Amino acid sequence: MKNTLRQVFHSSKFLVGFIIFLLILLTMWVYPFLNPGNPLEMIGVGTFARPGTYFSLYDAVNTPAETLRLSDADDKRVAASMSMEDRVAMVEWFTLAEVDIEGLDINDTDALLDLWFANYDSSLKLKGMTNAKKNYYKRLDRSIREIRAADTFTLMHPDEDSGELVKRSDISKTDYINVGQVTNVKRLPLGTDNFGRDVLKELVSATGTSIVIGLIAGIVATFIGLSLGLLAGYVGGFLDDIIMFITNIFTVIPSFVLLILISYSIGQDQRGASVVAIVIGFTSWTWTARSVRSQVISLRNRDHVNLSKLSGHSLVRIILTDILPYIASYVVMAFILQVSSGILSEAQLSLLGLGPKTTEVPTLGLMMNWAMLYSAHTNGSWWAYFPVILTITFISFSLNLMNTGLDQVFNPTLRD
Amino acid sequence: MKKALAILLALAMIVALGATAFADDVSELPREETLYFAGQQWGTVLSWNIMGTNQNNSMAIAGGASGYRTLMFETLFMYNFMNGDIIGLLADSYEWNDDLTEISVVLKDAAKWCDGTPVTAEDVVKTWDVSVQVGNTTGTTFGAYIDSIEATGDKTFVIHGKIGDDGKPVNPLKVTDFLTGTPIAQAAWIDKLVERNGGDSVKILNDPGEDVVWSGPYTKYFFDDQKVVLIRDDNYWGQDASMWGKLPVPKYIAHAIYADNPAGELALKAGEVDVCQQFIGNIQNLWLKDGLPISTYYEEAPYGVCLTMPTAWYNMNMPVLAESAALRKAIAIAVDYDTIIANAMTNQSPSFAEVPRSLMNPTDGEQALYDHDAVADLQWAGNDIDGAKAMLDEAGIVDTDGDGWREFNGEKISLNAVCPNGWTDWQASMEVVAAAGEKIGVEITTLYPEWDIYQTVFTNPNQTEYAIYMWSPEAASPSNPWTRVNQFLGKDYVGAENNWSGNWGQYVNEEADALIKQIPLTTDEAVLRDLYTKLTEIYLTEVPSFSLMYRPSLFHAVNESVWTNFPSGDDGRNIPPADCTDGYGIAALYDLELVG
Repeated sequence: MKNTLRQVFHSSKFLVGFIIFLLILLTMWVYPFLNPGNPLEMIGVGTFARPGTYFSLYDAVNTPAETLRLSDADDKRVAASMSMEDRVAMVEWFTLAEVDIEGLDINDTDALLDLWFANYDSSLKLKGMTNAKKNYYKRLDRSIREIRAADTFTLMHPDEDSGELVKRSDISKTDYINVGQVTNVKRLPLGTDNFGRDVLKELVSATGTSIVIGLIAGIVATFIGLSLGLLAGYVGGFLDDIIMFITNIFTVIPSFVLLILISYSIGQDQRGASVVAIVIGFTSWTWTARSVRSQVISLRNRDHVNLSKLSGHSLVRIILTDILPYIASYVVMAFILQVSSGILSEAQLSLLGLGPKTTEVPTLGLMMNWAMLYSAHTNGSWWAYFPVILTITFISFSLNLMNTGLDQVFNPTLRD
Repeated sequence: MKKALAILLALAMIVALGATAFADDVSELPREETLYFAGQQWGTVLSWNIMGTNQNNSMAIAGGASGYRTLMFETLFMYNFMNGDIIGLLADSYEWNDDLTEISVVLKDAAKWCDGTPVTAEDVVKTWDVSVQVGNTTGTTFGAYIDSIEATGDKTFVIHGKIGDDGKPVNPLKVTDFLTGTPIAQAAWIDKLVERNGGDSVKILNDPGEDVVWSGPYTKYFFDDQKVVLIRDDNYWGQDASMWGKLPVPKYIAHAIYADNPAGELALKAGEVDVCQQFIGNIQNLWLKDGLPISTYYEEAPYGVCLTMPTAWYNMNMPVLAESAALRKAIAIAVDYDTIIANAMTNQSPSFAEVPRSLMNPTDGEQALYDHDAVADLQWAGNDIDGAKAMLDEAGIVDTDGDGWREFNGEKISLNAVCPNGWTDWQASMEVVAAAGEKIGVEITTLYPEWDIYQTVFTNPNQTEYAIYMWSPEAASPSNPWTRVNQFLGKDYVGAENNWSGNWGQYVNEEADALIKQIPLTTDEAVLRDLYTKLTEIYLTEVPSFSLMYRPSLFHAVNESVWTNFPSGDDGRNIPPADCTDGYGIAALYDLELVG
């Protein structure tokens, strides 16, 4: 046993897969300590906040400011509210409104602004201008008016007694605060999802659930496949015919179709994470059964098996002690693959809206399902689904790598 | 033999190719003459029979929430929910008598059917009589309020309202709704329809009506499971100076049948759809971030005109919900509405702080109908977890066995929150409701059945499968807010089979019902205000349902890649954002212009 393990860990493929998987497990274990709380808590009011560090504006105002005179600050402000595209659009507006733009330099911000403020009128109905374009100019006008605004914002707050606005402080263009001094700062490395949940926190929790689903599915599938395969292979005869008949029926029906039909008929209110896992397990045992059977057939006429038979050992004992150990390595590999495909099946099912019911636990598939329902893929909110895809990839990659590594160790034809 | 088979196969392939090529002809409508829609038609059109039911024909036959869709079949008048105006279409004018028992209506001289025959009082009378006889939507909706329609001349008729036992009219408000909500069919065609079906009501309702006669500016051109196309009728009577004075601009009205909302949204972004009646989350990103030529009725949030409020109904067939108003209110005050409005509606709705909850929609006209201060103490802004817990504790609904969930009469409360699958904004709302339940120790799980299943269950008056489920009350019509109030609190629809009409929670309150019955006959504004205030008070105390957000009855996002001059809030035309199809919203079609 010790020797086998040493052999296994000598396989670089297995080792890499194992380390990746271990790292994933470690993150699942450590991260909740760093960022405790309910992963399904909707912290953000609104959908899809971008990844980044959020600090409280309210607290920021109360944080003592330093004055920094940065030479490029104003230029950046102008660039932010007036891009090159905007400048071109302004010229287009002038042309449509038949304003004389003779000698206008598009890069001369002041000249452009002067001309704009002298001529722009939001109520003017220009021929051939769509409503969308008209709204765009209104927004542009608002944004460039900021450029010419005063250098300071004045902060007011209502007086407690009279309710009148009392001046509290001025915020100048040169005021800077140290983010480290702001009382409330929230880091959202992966932003929030459509419900305003912290995606990273949800992802870690979902990975856990999905691995558990994969494990349950793998155990169920391997158990069924192994039992049937052992029985069919060892006992043979009529029992073999019956078992293989059933297995063949399950093989010809595409298992994913079966999975969809079963999930649908169970009904969403009954579909917890574990029920889904068991259903996945029940639909994916066939190839384990077939390959275990063929392995057993090649084993059952070996001398030591015949010896056991002659000694009068029971069927169960022969299977458990004389046959199972010889195919154990194969079963472990099959199990790993079943876990991997279980995780993928859950993701596929959930994507179709047939996954576990949604209020209880996050799963990788459900995260993708909601991201898709909220068109995250079309509105550019990559953080809501891409890390999930990456996680699934890493999990199945590591499991498959482990499987290949084991294969190299145990399969004589592949041994170098 | 083999050769023959090969030739046969080749022939079959050519025929198949030819067939697809033929189908392509229709899909290649000239872009500059076609106005593309999304979000109205789901699934294949079943019938064109205006007297029938279950037509699944949203472009031609649809009683829109804010006015009838008059592309193919026309109503007597058009409703404009922006200002409450009732504008003549087939009819010119109407007049109530002093007792509010009858309306006299004069039809337009120019109004004609597509076959050139004039629209007469006889058509209206026949439409009404047969509708009642076969029990179609018109018949069942107005049967309780309209006694009969009597032709008094070729172009004039009188609608007699039903008179109650007390000698007063039952509901003049609903009679007014008839004017803007009922499409008129041709008498001669109805006779044909009745005759070929032997007068059998069921057969008449299910007749496909391929030969139907219409009066509107468009008619059927092509339909299958991929799309439905209407084509302009260039002989349309409405080009007469007494009506529009011209034809609507687009020659074709086309609606591809999309699988779901995201598909329609993608098509809108790509410029394949001009008018999109779909909820699009964070719609401002389409122009702010993506820079697309897409606009909405208003430039700023809530972008549209909110006319209704999607509501979570409590199922009163379930003892736990029926017996405990405290539980109903506790769940309602624990729900975080700001999150729903920001998440599910992406702020395309005013908040409940801006427009406190009541029986009214957020338009100024309806808001003025009740006394806000009188019910201020009963209001809740939501997300009040402590308040909800205290309310439940006080009502004795506590967790006795220590499992973290509260019990009612010794049994764990376990509710589901249900809405159709794929209705993402509603699904998100139900998630928020479920989250609120968890916070106050009441187990609420979400359930999203397919629409086909959902619609049969929630309209069944005896169902106990769904505990909390969503549906929207009526949006706007001449009879609102009365109709909506009746849907929330009235007794009329309790126990009705196949109930699409109202009170989906089966809530009964005799006091409220008595107040509701008084409203249609009340013309004194002070009394009316008093009645509405009292009803709001009952609603906020008893909480038979709770609204989750305000919502436009129709979304109206337009892509101006091809067409422009769609109605907008600041253009002074007062055309409602009714998707260019419903009520007075159809006026938009006459003003459209091509871009460039």
